[in-house]
Amino acid sequence: MSVAAISNPLASSWRRIPGAWRQPVTIAGLVIAAFWLVIALAAPLIAPADPLAQGAALYQAPSAAHLMGTDELGRDVFSRVLWGARISIPLAMLLVALAFTIGGTLGGLAGYLGGWVDELVMRAADFVFAVPTILLAMAVVAALGPGLFHAVLAVVLVSWPGHARVVRGLVRTTMQSEYVAVGRLLGSPTHRALVVDVLPNVAGPVIVLAALEIGNAILLLSALSFLGLGARPPTAEWGSMVSTGAQHFEAWWIGVFPGIAIVSVVLAFNLLGDSLRDAFDPKAIIKARGA
Amino acid sequence: MKPLLSVRDLRVWLDTARGPLSIVDGINFDIASGQVFGLAGESGSGKTITALALLGLLPAGARAAGSAMLDGRDLLTMRAAQRRRTRGREIAMVFQDPTSSLHPMLTIERQLTEHLRYQLGMSREEAYERAVHLLTDVRIPNPRAALRGYPHQFSGGMRQRIQIAIGLACEPRLLVADEPTTALDVTVQAGILRLLHRLCEEKDLAVMLITHDLGVLSALADTVTVMYAGRVVESGSTAQVMGGSRHPYTRALIDSLPHPEASDGALVPIAGDPAGPESRPSGCAFHPRCRYMEPSCAAAVPSLVRMDDGREMACPLDPLVVSRVR
Amino acid sequence: MAFVLTHLVPGDPAVANLGDRASSDPVAVKLYREHFGLDKPLPVQYVVYLGNLLHGDLGESEQSRRPVLTDLAEYIPATAELAITSIVLACLLGLTLGVIAALNRNNVIDQIIRVVSLGGMSTPQFWLALVALYLFFYKLSWVPGSGRLDAAVLPPPHLTGLFTIDSLAAGQYDVFVNAVQHLILPACVLAAFNMGLFTRFTRSAVLEVLENDYVRTARAKGLPERTVVFRHILRAASPPILTVVGLAFGNVMTGTVLIENIFSWPGIGQYSYRSATALDLPAIVGVMLFVAIVYILVNMVVDILYGVVDPRIRVA
Repeated sequence: MSVAAISNPLASSWRRIPGAWRQPVTIAGLVIAAFWLVIALAAPLIAPADPLAQGAALYQAPSAAHLMGTDELGRDVFSRVLWGARISIPLAMLLVALAFTIGGTLGGLAGYLGGWVDELVMRAADFVFAVPTILLAMAVVAALGPGLFHAVLAVVLVSWPGHARVVRGLVRTTMQSEYVAVGRLLGSPTHRALVVDVLPNVAGPVIVLAALEIGNAILLLSALSFLGLGARPPTAEWGSMVSTGAQHFEAWWIGVFPGIAIVSVVLAFNLLGDSLRDAFDPKAIIKARGA
Repeated sequence: MKPLLSVRDLRVWLDTARGPLSIVDGINFDIASGQVFGLAGESGSGKTITALALLGLLPAGARAAGSAMLDGRDLLTMRAAQRRRTRGREIAMVFQDPTSSLHPMLTIERQLTEHLRYQLGMSREEAYERAVHLLTDVRIPNPRAALRGYPHQFSGGMRQRIQIAIGLACEPRLLVADEPTTALDVTVQAGILRLLHRLCEEKDLAVMLITHDLGVLSALADTVTVMYAGRVVESGSTAQVMGGSRHPYTRALIDSLPHPEASDGALVPIAGDPAGPESRPSGCAFHPRCRYMEPSCAAAVPSLVRMDDGREMACPLDPLVVSRVR
Repeated sequence: MAFVLTHLVPGDPAVANLGDRASSDPVAVKLYREHFGLDKPLPVQYVVYLGNLLHGDLGESEQSRRPVLTDLAEYIPATAELAITSIVLACLLGLTLGVIAALNRNNVIDQIIRVVSLGGMSTPQFWLALVALYLFFYKLSWVPGSGRLDAAVLPPPHLTGLFTIDSLAAGQYDVFVNAVQHLILPACVLAAFNMGLFTRFTRSAVLEVLENDYVRTARAKGLPERTVVFRHILRAASPPILTVVGLAFGNVMTGTVLIENIFSWPGIGQYSYRSATALDLPAIVGVMLFVAIVYILVNMVVDILYGVVDPRIRVA
């Protein structure tokens, strides 16, 4: 029998999600995120032009023919922005998945096993936290050589401690909580306790963190590309497009639109993560119960 | 003699998605200067909300109607700024839990003097001296040192005394005390009650004593008004209500709680739970739990009837029946 | 620790620093490595480094050929000025928005503020900097585009290294105005993210405080709402907000790397960017040490402030 039958406050918060969805802000976030996911998938179908095609006139301001103008090589900015979603969004998701796997496992082990494992993992995490994020990422990429793959690795390296810390905290709290102790008393074997009792508690906040981290990942990836350490030309990546825009200030559309794209995607995921966090907030749950 | 506070048809309701939810359903009472007016009832009876309505401190979404005349002015229809000026100055309130009601990060001096300076325009030195005086009045030892301290450095009983001092600072006419001793140790309670009694006499202060503790009421209150589910069910002098009540609810209450006037040793709890605002029964709100209930009780809300001895009661049943069945 | 990590980074610093041509000459590389002690075994290098450190010697920057310590000392004031200004801006704006949001919980104003605060945290700083430059410098010419002062303006006599304060202290009001003009745009851009952070934390802290009885007591005394908010509510909400100050410094450290570059602001951010791309080891390590010290200092100050604000935390 699962100890979760005895009150497990976080597991029941799954049922509270509907309430949070009703807020207009959350819906907006969901809609925008979905919108961008669709674009990422469908870009080849809906983009008016090939992002790499250099046919059109250079430096055209936004017009009916080119909704976001053309850049310094005559490419259609609008198409490049759409195609940029195919790079940033999937990579960010992959990145967060990786960081979570590595960080979550390490953090979970640290929390569960304690002792020197815990010390080691936490020291490593502290080190990463201490260094300004950009610098660390830059140093890694500078050492490995530029390129999107290395940039992704760098961001994973910078991100895993965040996941590790959260998972470790959750594991420790859950393990110390009374109902797990009761479960042990009742004789549930350890690994069963882990899966059935620890995981539901851990899953909620982790999903929240993942949503927020996708946004951060996109920001960091585009920053690296902006510095020339990520995507190389002629790839249509939002960060490197902004960098190009910086070199051609007059043609403001080259740099401004990709940035707007970044803001809207990251904002959408942040809104989602934020609303999910409200739904999983233990205090809100207690209030709803006691009322 | 003209009463200090005269409340007529006070109603408080909550605006909910499902329509207005009545919390206080039209109550009347008078409080005279120098009198200790006891308001009794279980939790959920609406007694705290009544007090909050008088002070204009109702929680968001709650509305009040009716009249509450203090010295010829209606508290409920005053403009917000005026209302705010009466708080602390003419009516003050002391809350149930002195630990959470005092600000943890401000000195006692600040908490005692800030409204003295704002409401009465005192200077820092004047307010300080008055604060010392107030702390002495409530019997806090070493007042000057106490003023420099913070709430967490004092015991529960001392904190309650400090709260009372804060309430009395601007010399209000009426002090509302919401469960002043409930959060305190039994040993400390007596001290607080003695304090309130003394202050009441010395300063001709009217006290509205809200509590479910009948022992406190019999010790301190001059008159008692019993509330249930937002309505007054009985009111009269303490002796009448506590000593010889003929209202089923009051009797049940007296029989269920330990207090000096209990007739015999065994306590008889009242069956069922107190009716909250959402689940108020029709007719007499107490009828589902009343041992003398008759079908007519569910039909109409019993009105408050004045008896020969000046007491008022809201129960249609023949009082002789009630006293006989016991 | 910092030392070990930078040495783990693959890529020969000699190669990176000498440039392509020189590094193809083995003799030059060898001389370089000897000069910087890179040919000695790693543990020896570490010990030597620690020894130097205790003497205040952080090694020489390979880029500037000067002691790292000198480099740092020169660039720190610029970053300090930028960082402090931006945090103050973020804090003021964030506190205001946070309080307003909390007092208007769940209605339209709250939602708008929520979007704005999350928006600040969702905007890439490098892009915001460029947009701001484009609008306010390029198109509107309201502010100058780079550096801390116009080329023709001389810096004020050195007191703290912060041009704004120094110029005021020396009575040079025109210099002060010029310095502020240069400071304001990068400070605002840097403040965007932290503004969002402050707003969110303030909002949740104030919401928690509002549930407490002492707020009701304050109102029961008839105090004006203004006093209740500032003296009672904000004071009680400060501990979590102080925590944000600590976080904000961390964000600023990261942000300055890009922002100082874009605005040609001669500070630690720009220095660390150059060092990182050039794999200038002593400089990188120096910067990391500096950042670590800043964290420690800031956390210490925040801890002290916790005690000042909340008497329950003070040690007897």
